[in-house]
Amino acid sequence: MTKKTLRQTGINFILLSTLSLVIMPMIYMVSTSLKPNGALYEFPPRFFPHLDELTIENYMYIIRQGKYYINFLNSILVSGITVLLAAFIASALGFCMARFHFTGKKILFAFILLTMIIPGTTLIVPQYELAVKLKAINNLWGLIPFYVAWVIPYSTFMIKGFVETIPSELDEAIYMDGGSVFTVFFKIILPLAKPGIASVSIFNFLTAWEEYPWANTVINDNLKRTLPIAISGFFGQHQFTQWGYVFALSVFSLIPILLVFIFCQKFFVAGLTTGSVKG
Amino acid sequence: MNKKVMGNRLQIAALLAPGVLIFSMFTLYPIVKLFVMSFFEWDFGSMFEQAFIGLENYETVLKDKYFQTAFMNSIYYTLITVPAQMILGLLVALLINSVARFKVGYRVLYYLPVITSWVIASLVFRYIFNTEGLLNYFLSNVLHITRGNIRWLDSRTGGMAVAMLLGTWKGIGWNMVVFLAALQTVPAELYEGASIDGAGTIRKFFSITLPSIKGTVLFALVMLTIGGFNVFTSIKMITGGNPGHQTDTVLTWMYYKAFSTGEFGYAAALSFIIASALACLALIQFRMMRNME
Repeated sequence: MTKKTLRQTGINFILLSTLSLVIMPMIYMVSTSLKPNGALYEFPPRFFPHLDELTIENYMYIIRQGKYYINFLNSILVSGITVLLAAFIASALGFCMARFHFTGKKILFAFILLTMIIPGTTLIVPQYELAVKLKAINNLWGLIPFYVAWVIPYSTFMIKGFVETIPSELDEAIYMDGGSVFTVFFKIILPLAKPGIASVSIFNFLTAWEEYPWANTVINDNLKRTLPIAISGFFGQHQFTQWGYVFALSVFSLIPILLVFIFCQKFFVAGLTTGSVKG
Repeated sequence: MNKKVMGNRLQIAALLAPGVLIFSMFTLYPIVKLFVMSFFEWDFGSMFEQAFIGLENYETVLKDKYFQTAFMNSIYYTLITVPAQMILGLLVALLINSVARFKVGYRVLYYLPVITSWVIASLVFRYIFNTEGLLNYFLSNVLHITRGNIRWLDSRTGGMAVAMLLGTWKGIGWNMVVFLAALQTVPAELYEGASIDGAGTIRKFFSITLPSIKGTVLFALVMLTIGGFNVFTSIKMITGGNPGHQTDTVLTWMYYKAFSTGEFGYAAALSFIIASALACLALIQFRMMRNME
């Protein structure tokens, strides 16, 4: 073995052994969801179930409970609408900020940076007060606009950076042909900024999909809950926590995220790194 | 001014309007309201009856022992998880960067904890660290390091340690991706030159790699510090602040005061302190970032 292959083997060995530690909790979650529910505080606890006790009863339980479909649908609805609204609003903002000078532009930019810095949860008290005033408690519309407001700053920041990389000669050509601002936005910017918009949209989807504190505050009704609230709902409801059910529902709720992640891997990484490398 | 310029101005305004509207209503108004509320006695039950009490809420918060504990917990959490994630993330990035094959595979798998939602990840950790759970069994019955079961989640140190472990575990992937991208921007000629001069791996890291990616390091530092103070769901899911609010962080304590005891004024003052402290800190960090360029 040459020195180079020895080195490669060493690196792979370290990476693989660390990786097994890193993904151990995920594997344990899946393995627990496949054990019979009664055996969950088994002694001795086992990392893997015996082959003959492997069961999908936890999954069947979740599937038979109609309410989890509704929770799933709620999550899809809330995350989907949030992503669409945020994509449009942030693209419009990002485009205007990248291309035009207007009164209050500096203030708007400072405000966007400020909201990126303040932890979202610090605003939960006045936002709750607002939601009560808007009669948005226990209503999915009590989630969506707040999520949109939440994700727009980061999205705008990223899309603005993306629009700046699109040559403005393309805009000029449209204006020369008598096109308007709208024409430039819809015909040039939106199509060309698609990768940037896609990458922030994936993040926005993830954010809305897993959001817990706000949804837990605004939604009480079982059938209006989103998935994270439904999962946390297993606690306090029974004397014993039904871990098998908890993890089966968790696996269900991770599937859409995994799909998005796997199919949009390219955008995912691009979205993470644009801002950071520019510093 | 001709008609066309006028029309374009209107169109720009139309594009800005939805964003500005959403901001003013759902972010700006709450920020202003938060500031106002912090000067009032304002209870959850009587939402619209308030009395102006000046700085009293701020005084109550700062003198509150529970707040002090929660504040220290947030500080410890940030001081430990931020460097831990950055160092481990950077190490993994360096290894993946120098591995010849399976780069994408490693990157995807190491990123899995990041996309796992906080609720789910917290519950898995709670299950593993349960008194009758896997870890205790492993430590006492397999490795024979400990005698009997340790009640991990029943003490301040234990509960915080589990939350910190989760925070670090969940953050490594993000740091890895950010640092991997930064490593691509380091010119390869620098390394070649150093090799000719006989510099070893460690020497190259400190004299070439680290200086070249310092902008990214600072960026990660800003984002992770904010994230550290934003910790909420994991505490709520793993310890619920127990025992006796010993493991609360600033935000879980604020939430408890707001929605369990109904002291909105107190919670508003607390939130305002945290938000402005973080804004100042981030401003300083951004300044440093600009000076370095």
